[in-house]
Amino acid sequence: MSDRRTTHRVLPQARRFLRGRKRDLLVLAGWSLLESAHTFLTGYGVARALDDGFLAGRIGTGLLWLAVAALSAPLGGVAVRGVFGGLAGLVEPLRDGLVRRAVSQALASAVSSPARPDAAAADSAAVSRLVHQTEMARDSFAGLVLTTRSFLFTAFGALLGMATLAPALLLVVLPPLVLGLGLFLATLAPMATVQRAFLDTDEALSGRVGEVGAGLRDVVACGAVRTVAEDVGRLVTAEERLARRLARWAGVRTLALGAAGRLPVVALVAATPWLLDGGVTAGALLGALTYLVQSLLPALHALMSALGAAGTRLLVVLDRFGTSTPPLPGDDPVTPPAAPEDPGAAPPPTPRRPGPGAAPGRAAVELRGLTFSYGPRARPVVDALDLVVEPGEHLAVVGPSGIGKSTLLALLAGLLTPVGGTALVDGAPARPAGRPGPDPRRALLPQRAHVFSGTVRENLCYLRPDATPAEVEETVEALRLGPLVRRLGGPDAAVDPRGLSQGERQHLALGRAHLSHAPLLLLDEATCHLDPETEERAERTLAARPGTLIVVAHRLSSAVRADRVLVLDGTRAACAAHEALLGTSALYRDLVGASPA
Amino acid sequence: MPATRTVTSDPARTADRVLLAATRHSAGHAAAILVCSLASAAAALAEPAVLGHTLDLLLAGDARAPRWAALCAVLITADLLLDAAVAQLTGVANARTTAWLRTRSLDRLLRAAPHHAARFAPGDLATRLTANATEAGTVPATAAAAVASVLPPLGALVALFLIDWRTAAAFLAGVPLLWLLLRAFAAHSSDSVARYQAAQARIADRLVEALTGAGTVAAAGTAARERRRVLAPLPELAEEGRRMWRVYGSAVARSGVLLPTLVCLVLAVGGLRLAAGAIGVGDLLAVSRYAALAAGVGAVAGLLGALVRGRSAARRTAEPLTLPPLAHGDGGLPPDGPGTLELRGVTVVRDGSPVLRDVDVVLPGGSRVAVVGRSGAGKSVFAAVAGRLTDPDEGRVLLDGVPLDAVDERTLRREVGYAFARPALFGATVAQALAFGAYAPAGPAVRAAARAAGADGFVQRLPGGYDTPLARAPLSGGELQRLGLARAFAHAGRLLVLDDATSSLDTVTEREVERALARDVRPGTRLVVAHRLSSASRADLVVWLDGGRVRAVGPHPVLWEDPAYRAVFAAAPPPDAPAPGGGAARGPASGGSAR
Repeated sequence: MSDRRTTHRVLPQARRFLRGRKRDLLVLAGWSLLESAHTFLTGYGVARALDDGFLAGRIGTGLLWLAVAALSAPLGGVAVRGVFGGLAGLVEPLRDGLVRRAVSQALASAVSSPARPDAAAADSAAVSRLVHQTEMARDSFAGLVLTTRSFLFTAFGALLGMATLAPALLLVVLPPLVLGLGLFLATLAPMATVQRAFLDTDEALSGRVGEVGAGLRDVVACGAVRTVAEDVGRLVTAEERLARRLARWAGVRTLALGAAGRLPVVALVAATPWLLDGGVTAGALLGALTYLVQSLLPALHALMSALGAAGTRLLVVLDRFGTSTPPLPGDDPVTPPAAPEDPGAAPPPTPRRPGPGAAPGRAAVELRGLTFSYGPRARPVVDALDLVVEPGEHLAVVGPSGIGKSTLLALLAGLLTPVGGTALVDGAPARPAGRPGPDPRRALLPQRAHVFSGTVRENLCYLRPDATPAEVEETVEALRLGPLVRRLGGPDAAVDPRGLSQGERQHLALGRAHLSHAPLLLLDEATCHLDPETEERAERTLAARPGTLIVVAHRLSSAVRADRVLVLDGTRAACAAHEALLGTSALYRDLVGASPA
Repeated sequence: MPATRTVTSDPARTADRVLLAATRHSAGHAAAILVCSLASAAAALAEPAVLGHTLDLLLAGDARAPRWAALCAVLITADLLLDAAVAQLTGVANARTTAWLRTRSLDRLLRAAPHHAARFAPGDLATRLTANATEAGTVPATAAAAVASVLPPLGALVALFLIDWRTAAAFLAGVPLLWLLLRAFAAHSSDSVARYQAAQARIADRLVEALTGAGTVAAAGTAARERRRVLAPLPELAEEGRRMWRVYGSAVARSGVLLPTLVCLVLAVGGLRLAAGAIGVGDLLAVSRYAALAAGVGAVAGLLGALVRGRSAARRTAEPLTLPPLAHGDGGLPPDGPGTLELRGVTVVRDGSPVLRDVDVVLPGGSRVAVVGRSGAGKSVFAAVAGRLTDPDEGRVLLDGVPLDAVDERTLRREVGYAFARPALFGATVAQALAFGAYAPAGPAVRAAARAAGADGFVQRLPGGYDTPLARAPLSGGELQRLGLARAFAHAGRLLVLDDATSSLDTVTEREVERALARDVRPGTRLVVAHRLSSASRADLVVWLDGGRVRAVGPHPVLWEDPAYRAVFAAAPPPDAPAPGGGAARGPASGGSAR
C-alpha cells in the first residue's frame, strides 16, 4: 500500500528531527503536565465544593473550593502559553528545513535544465511548494502536536482526578472511553488511505485542468470539447466518489469519538445507584461529570478535527519534499573549475586578464564530431558538428528557431554533456568532470537576463565579485550604461527587477559580460530586446574586448558584423563569412530575405 | 450576425446565482443537514436538564430514576447518532456541490471562444476548479449548520433563566469581559501574521528571480550563492513565526482562562442557590453545562466566517460562467463542397480597438492561400475568424455558402482543421495525441498523416514509437509543430488553417511537408499564415493584410512588383523587437517560440 511506503519514507526523518529537539519536547511535556494539573483541579474543586461546602451547609468552604477551581484556570492559561513556546521550538525548525529544501530543489531542477519548455509552470509549482505546502505542513504539524498532546494530558488529569475522588468511577468510565478510542484508532488507517487517494485525484484534476487551460484553443479547434469535458468529468466524478467515501468515514469517526466522550456519561448515570451504595458522594459524581463534559469532550472534539485530515495531509506533503536536500553547483567552493581528464590535455589556464591568444596555438573552441540529442533515441539536435574558432574571433550563429543554436552554446558552456564527439574550450573539455561550478574560461549570457534584488553594483559584478569601482566605472562608460545606472540611483542603489524592461535587464547583463575576465564570451540572443543601435554598439564593444565572442544572432545584422557566420539547418551546418555564405547557402539567402528563386 | 459581445456579467452576482442553484441541486441534503442539526441541538439542549433531574432523582433514591436514566441514555445516543449523520451528510453534500460547480464551470470554459477563455492563466484555472471549488462546495452545508448553530447558545441562555435567573445574570455579566479579551488579541495577531507573510513573500520573490534567471545561474555556476541570497530572509521568517505562536498562545490561553472562569462564576451563584435550597444538585450540574453551551456562541461566528470565505471562493469558481458561450447552429454543409471561404465585411474588435476592419475576400475552394503582413497586421485573427475560433463583431463568414455560426459544431470541426505554431497536445501517448479531435481516425490513417507532416521519422525513434507516453517524449519546438500538423492532417476536412504552423521547421522539411500536404492529404482549401517568403511564393493566392485591413489580394508574383509588399518580408521582426535597418531580415523564426 502506498500509504505504508510513505510512512516508511517519512518516519526515519521524523525520528531524526525529533531526536534533535529533545529540549523542546521536554519543555512541551513540562508545560503540558501543568495543564493536567489544571484539569485535575477543575473537577476536584467542584466535587469538594459540593461535598464539603454547599451540601454540608458550609457556604464559605464551598465558595473557597470553587475559587480553587476558578483559580486553576489562570494556571491552565500559563501552561498553554508555555506549551506554545515549546510548540514553536518544534514547528519553526520544521518549516525552516522545508523552506530550505524547497528552495534547493527548485534551484537544482532549474539549473539542471535551464532551457525547460515548461519553465513557467515549474516556477509556479516551486513557489506553491515554498509558500503553500510549507505552511500546510506547519499548520498540520502544529495542530497535530497540539491536539494529541492536549488530549493525552487532559485525559491524564481527568482520570487522575476521578481516581482521587473515587477509584470506582474509573471502573465505570474507562471501558466506554477505551472502546470509543479504539474504534477511532481503527478508522485512522483506512481513512488515511482514502484521504491519500483523494489528494492524489485532486492533484491529477488540478494538473488536467491546467493542461486543458493551456490548450483551450486546441481543444476547440480540434472539436474535442465533448471528449475533454468527459475526460475531466471522469476525474471530477472519481473525486466526488472518494469524497463520499470520506464522508462515510467521517460519520464513523464522529460516532467513535462521540462514543468515547458521551457513553461514559450514560454509564455513569446507569451506575449511579451502585456507586452511591459504594459510598461515592454526590460531589464526586458531579466532579466526574464535570471532567467528562468539560474537559474530555472538548479535547476529543479537537483531536477529531485535527487527526483525520491534518495527519494524512502532513504525511503527503512531507513525502513530497523528498528525503534529502540536493547539492547545488557551487556548493563546494574549492572544486577545481576544470580538472584535466586526459593527461594529453593541458590544464586550462585561469587568466587574470584575457589575451587574444590566451594560450598561443590553441583554438578558443574546437568541436570534433560534436553530437547531442535530448533523449537516448531522440533525433540529434547537433549532429557530428566540426568547428574551430580561433582566439579573438567573432562568430555569429544563425538558423531557424528550435534548430539547436542555444543547445550548441549550452554545449560550449559545458552545461550539457555531448552524446558523441568532443567540445574543447581552450584545449580542455567544455564540461569539466566533477560537480559543476563557476568556470572562469567562459561567460554565457542567455536571452533571459537575470537581474536580482540587490544593488546595481552587485548585479554588474555577478561574474566578477572582485571587480574594482574603477573597472565598473569603465564598463558603464564603454557600454553607455550611464543613463540607466543614474536612473536607478547610482551603482549602490537597490534594483527592483520588476521596474526594469527586458531591454534594460539585458543591457545590465551585458555589463556583467564586459566586466568578466573569461576569454570566451557566449551571447545567446542576449541583445534581442535592445534597439538595433544599442545592440550594435554593445556587440562591437564586446567584440573589441580581448577574447573570443560567439553570438547567437537575433537579427541578421549581427551576422553581418561577425568575422564568420555559422548557419544551422537541421543536421547540416555551414560556416563561412557573410558574403561567401550568400553564394553557397540557400537557407542563408532565405534567412536574410534575398529575392526568391 | 450578432453585434459586439462583451464580458460584462458581474462575477459577484453570477456567484450568488450559482450558489443558489448549487443549493437547489443539493436541496435534499441541505434540508437533511438542517433537520439533523436542529434535532441534535434540541437533544443537546435537553440533555443537561434531563441529566440534572436524573441525578437529583438518583440521589434521592426516587423510584422514577431508572426511567429518567433511560431517557438520558436515549437522548445522548440520539445526539451521538445525529452528529454522525450530520458529519456524513455534510461530506456528501460538499462532494455533490463541488462536483456540480466544477462540471458547470468547466463546461462553460470549453464552450466559450478560446480568446475569451484565455484570460484565465492555466495555473489559476486549476486553483479555481480545485481548491476554490472545494471551498465553495461547502456553502450549502455550512449555511444549514449555521442556522442550526444559533439554537444551542440561545437555548442554553433561556435554560439558565428557567433554572434560576440569577445564574443567567451571572453569565451575562461575565460576557463583556470575554469580548474585550478576544478583541485585544485580534489586533496583535494580524500584525505579526502580516510581517510573517511579508518575509515569506520576500523569499518567494527572490526564488522566482533566481528561477527566472536559471540560465544565467546555471552558466555562472552560482546556484549555491543564489540559495544563500534567497534564504537570507529566513531567520526573520523564523523570528516572526515564533512571535506568531506566542501571540496565538496567549490568545488561546486567554480564552482558555475565560470559559472556565465564566462557568465557575455561574457555578458559584448556583452553589449559593443550592445552599439556600432553591435548586438541587442536578440543577447545579445543568447550570454548569448550560453556561458552557451559552459560551459556545463563538461557533456561530466561525460558521459565518466559513460562509463568507465560501462565497468569495464561489466567485472565483463561477467566474468562467460569465464567459459568453460560442453558440452553434444545427445546419449542415453542402456535401462534397470544395471549401470556398467567404469573408463579408468582417470586423473583429479586441480590447476596444479593431484588429480586422471590413475584410471582404473570397478564397476559392481547393486553393492554397497565404496570409501575409507585418506582425500586428491581424493575420492570426484572420485565421481564427476563418474557422470560427472567434466570431466577427461585424460581418459574416461563409463556408461553401453557409454562415459558419449556422453550422452544427460536429460538422464544423470535422470540416475545418487547424494547426498552430505551438500546438498543445492531449492524450496519454503520441498516437492518442495525433488521433485527438472530433473523431478518432484509425491507426494507419494516423501514421499516414504523421508521414505527411514529416513526423513519422522521429516518432519511430522514440523509445516506444507511437505508443510512447507524451510526458516521456522529449520534443523540440519543430517536432512539436510537426505533431500538431500531423494531428490536423489526420482530421483534414474541406478547410485547413495553418497558423504559422511551420515556423520552427527548417526550409527543406517545410518544403517536403508542403508537397506531402498537396499529395497525400484530403484535398481542400488551405489557409496558411506565413512569415517566410518561400511560403508566400508557392501559394495560389496571397492575402496581404496591413493594419487590420486587406491591402491587396493577388498572386505573389503580381504583388511582388510593389516595393511595400517586398518590405513585408524584408523587415518582419518579432513582435517584441523593432525592425532592424540595412535590409537585414529575420526570416523563418517568428516570435520567440521554441528555444
